[in-house]
Amino acid sequence: MIELRKVDKQFHTAEGCVFALREVDLSVAGGDIYGIIGRSGAGKSTLLRILNLLERPTAGEVLIEEREITGLSGAGLRRLRQGIGMVFQNFNLLSSRTVYENVRLPLRIAGGLSSREESLRVAEALDLVGLTQQARRYPRQLSGGQRQRVGIARALANRPRLLLCDEATSALDPETTQSILSLLHDINRRLNLTIVLITHGMDVIRAVADRVAVLDHGRVVESGDVIDVFLSPSHRTTRALLAEIGMGAPGIATEVAQDANHHLQLWRLTCRGAIVATPILTAAAREHGLDIAVLQGSIGRIGDTPYAQLTVHITGADEQRQCHFRESLARADVHCERVS
Amino acid sequence: MSGAILQTAASLGSAVLANEYWPEIREGTLDTLIMTGVSLLFTVLIGLPLGVVLFLTGWTQRSERPGRAWVQWCVYSILSALVNLLRSVPFMILLILLIPATRAIVGTSLGVQGSIPPLVIAAAPFFARLTENLLREVDRGVFEACRSMGATTRQLVLWALLPETLPGILAAIIVTAVALVGYSAMSGVIGGGGLGDLAVRYGYQRFNTAVMLVTVAILVVLVQLIQVLGDRLVARFSHR
Repeated sequence: MIELRKVDKQFHTAEGCVFALREVDLSVAGGDIYGIIGRSGAGKSTLLRILNLLERPTAGEVLIEEREITGLSGAGLRRLRQGIGMVFQNFNLLSSRTVYENVRLPLRIAGGLSSREESLRVAEALDLVGLTQQARRYPRQLSGGQRQRVGIARALANRPRLLLCDEATSALDPETTQSILSLLHDINRRLNLTIVLITHGMDVIRAVADRVAVLDHGRVVESGDVIDVFLSPSHRTTRALLAEIGMGAPGIATEVAQDANHHLQLWRLTCRGAIVATPILTAAAREHGLDIAVLQGSIGRIGDTPYAQLTVHITGADEQRQCHFRESLARADVHCERVS
Repeated sequence: MSGAILQTAASLGSAVLANEYWPEIREGTLDTLIMTGVSLLFTVLIGLPLGVVLFLTGWTQRSERPGRAWVQWCVYSILSALVNLLRSVPFMILLILLIPATRAIVGTSLGVQGSIPPLVIAAAPFFARLTENLLREVDRGVFEACRSMGATTRQLVLWALLPETLPGILAAIIVTAVALVGYSAMSGVIGGGGLGDLAVRYGYQRFNTAVMLVTVAILVVLVQLIQVLGDRLVARFSHR
């Protein structure tokens, strides 16, 4: 669906040239929800805007549905944009127009529909976001969540193949954020719509994304399936972002390791899938005659996959039996990794 | 009922001022209304597009492409200089300077007809600047949303920017209308007709203070009416 090859974006400022993006390679498969995460200033906003050429890359190739787009301008560029929906952090609705007229705007811009067809499309889009009743109201009369739903309806009115979300939930309260995210998830599955979203919160990624790319100082430092990146982050920025939502944060395990005078073995056990619900830890402990202290951990679900990641302290056995224990865990698809 | 009101007004009028002056005052008021109305119409017809062009070529909308940006810069510089020039000449002097031009356009530099061209030429640049500033106030997000939908500049202006600024533009029209009432009175000095002309002829040249005071009172009421009706109109179209 989307292919970025060695994309650079330079900005000229008073202090000289600044790279907003540096050699970015990115590949988004059709039908995916692809999350791009990074701190403010990491270049994620620029990256998103390159996908519909609101920003032009300084170098590199951008392919959308196997078509190179950086050469487009004028009518060709407008046609490309008409096929890509975009949702904004601050909604960017026209305050002077009703909900109905706001959603109709992209249809008028694209043209080619009779007013009857237009009103059918608007009704369809409003139905999708659950705002049929609000069609005659003005944005001012709506809550933040409703306004964002109008924004989404507007982005979908032209039946795009691709939806770009620019921090679509950052201006909303937690509860509304959840409802907007599940709306995006629902739309993605129902319409088989590819969604690229940028965010600074890993919780958003965990809630909806299939794949994720971590952006740091204009470079993609890590990317892959959300569950892989969550359970075994390789870059320190990723780890820091995960720590913000309580995953892999230095906690009691580190304290225990520091306080202990004696030699202490801490292990991180990671597993995913159906095995999470089985008593594998106690079964193995009984079999090998071990004691296990769980010092910290996280158990839950990422997308549709259950996962568990525990930091444990193993006592009460010699090295050989511990080794057997770890081998039996490995046979059950539990990944073991020495922490200290 | 309305007959009774008119009668009361007439008797009140005679008490203030001798009856012989009232026909002239009525005519003067009508002339002022015509001058203000017609020149307001042309001011908006010229000033609004001019303001849009100033905005679209101004620094906030400069293109990334150097060639295009240069054209924008040229257009903006010329129009902006012209607008500044017209706005910096005091209206009194503009009136006099424009006499030949006015004759060429409407055939005379006197009366109601003769005052309309200078009024428009003085007010249109003012209105254009007001429009330009209003457009600059529009949230950048609206531009980005429209661009992301693939809008042409024309669509952006007609379907997003102007509707978004409509309450502001209505308010600017009111401000301009009030200014035009004042300007039109000033044109009385060079024989422009209307209430200003009356005030100058009776109040200044013949020391008839009563006539002058009545014209001033009518101007005050006129301005109040414009403002009150205008504010209602603005509130009607404001959805922010």
